[in-house]
Amino acid sequence: MLMFGLYSAGLCLVKGLNQTNMDNRFAFGLWIFLDLTVIALGAGAFFTGFLLYILKVKELGAVINSAVVIGLVCYSGAVAALLVDVGQPLRFWFTFWYPNVHSMLTEVTFCITCYLTVLLIEYVPIVLRNRRLRQVPSFLIFEFELHKLVYVLAGVGTFLSFFHQGSLGGLFGVLRGHPFAFREGLAVWPSTFFLFVLSAAAAGPSFILLTTWLVSKISNRQLVRPEVLPLLGRISGMLMIAYVLAKTVDTLIWINHTSPGAGVPAWQYYSWKPFGTWILFAEIVAFGLIPALVLLTPRLRLRSNWLVSAAALTCIGIALNRFVMTLQTLALPTLSFDPFLSYFPSWQETGTFLGVVGFGVLVYSFSFRYLNLFPQERDLEQPEAAPVREPALAGRY
Amino acid sequence: MKATRRDLFKFAAGGATGLLLTPAPWRLVTDAALWSENWPGIPKPVRGELRTRFTHCALCPAGCAVKARCVGDQPISLIGLPGKPLCAFGLMGHQLPYHAGRVRQADADAVRAVIAKRAANETVAVLDLRPGRTASWTYRRAMAALPRGVYLAARSSVPAVNLDAVKIILSLGVPVLDGWGTPSNVQQARSHFRLIQAEPAESRTALLADQWLKIRPGTELELVEALATGRGGAGTGLNEKVIASVANELVQAGALFLAAEESPSVLELNRKLGAVGKTIVAQREAPVPRSWKPAPVTPINSVPERSIGVLLIDESAADSYVPWSKLEGKLAPDALVVTFASSQAGYGRQAKHLLPTAVYPESTGDIPPAIDSPLATFRLTTPLVAPPRGVVNPAQFIGGLAAIDAADALRERAGAIHAAGRGSVCTYADGRSIPVEDIQPDQFWKALNDGACWIDEPGGKLLPPVLRASTPAVVALNWEKRAARGPMPPLVSKLYQESNLRVRI
Amino acid sequence: MSARSYGMSIDIDKCTGCGACMVACAVENNVPPAPEGVNERKGITWIRVFRLDNGAEGVDRKWAFLPMLCQQCGENTPCVSVCPQQAVQLDPATGIVGQMPERCLGCRYCMAACPYHARYFNWWDPSWPAGMEKTLNPAVAPRMRGVVEKCNFCHGRWHAAKARAAAQGRRDLDPADYVPACVEACPTSAIRFGDLNDLENAPERGSFRLLEKLGTGPKIYYQTQRDWVREIAAAPGGTERAHG
Repeated sequence: MLMFGLYSAGLCLVKGLNQTNMDNRFAFGLWIFLDLTVIALGAGAFFTGFLLYILKVKELGAVINSAVVIGLVCYSGAVAALLVDVGQPLRFWFTFWYPNVHSMLTEVTFCITCYLTVLLIEYVPIVLRNRRLRQVPSFLIFEFELHKLVYVLAGVGTFLSFFHQGSLGGLFGVLRGHPFAFREGLAVWPSTFFLFVLSAAAAGPSFILLTTWLVSKISNRQLVRPEVLPLLGRISGMLMIAYVLAKTVDTLIWINHTSPGAGVPAWQYYSWKPFGTWILFAEIVAFGLIPALVLLTPRLRLRSNWLVSAAALTCIGIALNRFVMTLQTLALPTLSFDPFLSYFPSWQETGTFLGVVGFGVLVYSFSFRYLNLFPQERDLEQPEAAPVREPALAGRY
Repeated sequence: MKATRRDLFKFAAGGATGLLLTPAPWRLVTDAALWSENWPGIPKPVRGELRTRFTHCALCPAGCAVKARCVGDQPISLIGLPGKPLCAFGLMGHQLPYHAGRVRQADADAVRAVIAKRAANETVAVLDLRPGRTASWTYRRAMAALPRGVYLAARSSVPAVNLDAVKIILSLGVPVLDGWGTPSNVQQARSHFRLIQAEPAESRTALLADQWLKIRPGTELELVEALATGRGGAGTGLNEKVIASVANELVQAGALFLAAEESPSVLELNRKLGAVGKTIVAQREAPVPRSWKPAPVTPINSVPERSIGVLLIDESAADSYVPWSKLEGKLAPDALVVTFASSQAGYGRQAKHLLPTAVYPESTGDIPPAIDSPLATFRLTTPLVAPPRGVVNPAQFIGGLAAIDAADALRERAGAIHAAGRGSVCTYADGRSIPVEDIQPDQFWKALNDGACWIDEPGGKLLPPVLRASTPAVVALNWEKRAARGPMPPLVSKLYQESNLRVRI
Repeated sequence: MSARSYGMSIDIDKCTGCGACMVACAVENNVPPAPEGVNERKGITWIRVFRLDNGAEGVDRKWAFLPMLCQQCGENTPCVSVCPQQAVQLDPATGIVGQMPERCLGCRYCMAACPYHARYFNWWDPSWPAGMEKTLNPAVAPRMRGVVEKCNFCHGRWHAAKARAAAQGRRDLDPADYVPACVEACPTSAIRFGDLNDLENAPERGSFRLLEKLGTGPKIYYQTQRDWVREIAAAPGGTERAHG
């Protein structure tokens, strides 16, 4: 997948963006939707760190390393996809040199770059805790010193994440030219700014829950204590219910006030097939309210099937929200003589997306194999493994 | 102090960090970006002295005057004269030489030899796709000089329309508002006439007309009959009240009936409407040297089957195309077909040889008067750029077959016009109009080559045309058909491909 | 020199959809012809004429043509505020929204922001058929792929007019000397151009602008006598009836 992805991305870089199916109406396509979703799901990194180091929820120490790796993978993949997505990747540094303080995208660029750096710094201790590397004294000391900074890093990470998750929402909320996406809000920040932060915070723990469960299933080991996953589910559920409430209020305001103010009655958006009102209900109820309620029910939380399904639905709901804000926004006509257009990604776009996924899986597996992602795992190793005589310094943890 | 490896690493790390703080790496990235922008070969526009030159557009018989803005000698943009704007196609005419599929090379001498051998015993026919030019006269002279030469015109000679007298037009599928006549004249006269368009298809003219009669396909002549006699017309699908009201309108003064097809009923209707002599008038031709002896214009229908041994088609400035099926039957079994064109898209598929020609604005020639010009005109399209090396001048080639030197035909014609002493010369550069008798022949020729236009004097009534039964009432220039056939400037993609404005058929 | 606010007044009833403006714009601004297989969703047409349909059937069907170009929004200009590297500026001296292709990153955020879809991306490297590069206008730089471009009211001609005025010792340019290519080419004079601050260029009664309620302050005013045209053109949000 990674090879195919690199080939697809290479084609786009060498031949130009005509390799994609994006066009002048669909200026943003699969990649932007992918970037937004992946960054929302990778929010688990900052949020878990916030909960663990600032709010001192100790149980989450079991998953913090995995969360950081997931975050790293998500953000670096998103940045890589962005570099292929822009027409002139070599000019990426112009945003830093000629920033436009009014643009949400400037904010996103700055924040994501800083946050990626923070994630890299947070990844370093995980790497250094590898048994082999620990044997190098300077690394050991470096890692020790770095560990003292973890609270600062967590705080900075939370601060940066808050802003860029929000700004990603702000990207579309400020679009006065698309009344479907445009929202009023607080000062310069439209309501989508806050909604995106809230939804990312809700999606993060769910995604970590999902990945932990998945890795556990694939490796056939128990990686965390039994109470950790339900805890993640409960956190996600609480945030999700808050998000659903906020989103409902926001949608009502938009339907009754904001959209008519721009001259478009809200029902008109949903008159274009295939995006009927079902998509609004799907986003808020089917993939929002229902998993939130499931995650908040203690009995259901303890049942693995319910827990994992609800977490999956939550993540899908967040992805659906990103889809609605990017692709549905662009599909809907603005001018009276615009038609409703459709878009389907080309194989080069899909290939690049798969490349990002492949990259993510590779890095995660590498980290899982060689680094201590799940500290509780050792305690949870099956007793049958013990009688096997192992040579010393086997290099396994 | 001994330099250890650690010192080296520290130096390297420190140096790398420090370098990032200097402009150097960023400058390199910018330069790489600039380099990457230019390596795909973005051309740099040529700079130079800006000049203005005048010519006439040869894309259609409207022959609008063109003011070309040039860098050095190369036109970079074209514009019409004040009050006489160019159409969309005229505006990109200077890019026509670069159209896709341009043919540049052929062995003209070999073809000449083959034709010369066969011309001695076989019937040679010239099919002229833009009759009425000086080159047309050269073809007619050449065919007269050959033992068995025949001159065929893609359409018979048409009368002219006097737009000033027109109050109502009934058009049978003619694209009046989309490339007919001289577009700028039609636009300016638009508010003076009512347009009724009778057409089955939703054309631009139909949907912009004052009234659209949506007749069933193939019932055009039935409508004509109904209007002429007051009976019938049920097959057209129109309400009989509508037909009656149109018929009533048409009998008022200033009516004009336009149709693309040749048919006696069309002619008859125009006679009945009193259009002949008022809105349809004779189109006069500019004087011709008396020494020129032309062959007559032979209607294609009257050519015997399987009689043509050599068919020469001048496609270099094509306005009308004759369906190949109509020509095929007239060709002898082993007929040699040679076409003079700049692309394969026209008769290139059927011809044995294609000899490349110059296109506007590389070509030299005159443009026949437009259909909405009752007065005779003579205007040259003067070359603004040099054509490719291998091109053939059809008039000189065909003239050469009959030992007629056509190189000076235009000058001889200008001489004859000057000798007739009528009319005046309009020079666009200074906007003056000088009677022909007041200038010398040399000055006249020079003015024509600088883009001036000779216009006959109005003097006297406009004559009724001599109309034969097979005369069409007008020639229809349909841009969609031309675009499907002939070479088009590359920027036409803006109209056909990159927007939904026009549909390629 | 006082600040100007250049705008246009377009009479929809005079437009015959001939496309002369589209062609003249491409010739003036060195817009390349589209590569094979390109359709109207990826082509570059700084000005584009749309066809409006009154939705009736048969002989009652009527068309109108509406030239659409960058509206040079004067308030809350959507594209200016969203560009991450300030490659778009609203020039206070002319009111023209200028795009700098040299600084454009190609992120296409401005294209998503523009409600008029007046911005075009270079999906391909520009290429002209062999020899046609000789016909390029030296006053305008051709763009490379991966950047956004749009109508700038033939800014090169404004510069040339200013230079001519300066050569004659005048501070203000002669209005007749600065005419964008589309205005110059229109056979029916459906498009008129001028400084909206001048009294004679003030928009006529009954003019309307597109998507006025969005608050973008467009500077292109449209006129029509036909109610059905006004109803379609001024209505936001797409209708089934129009094409183009």
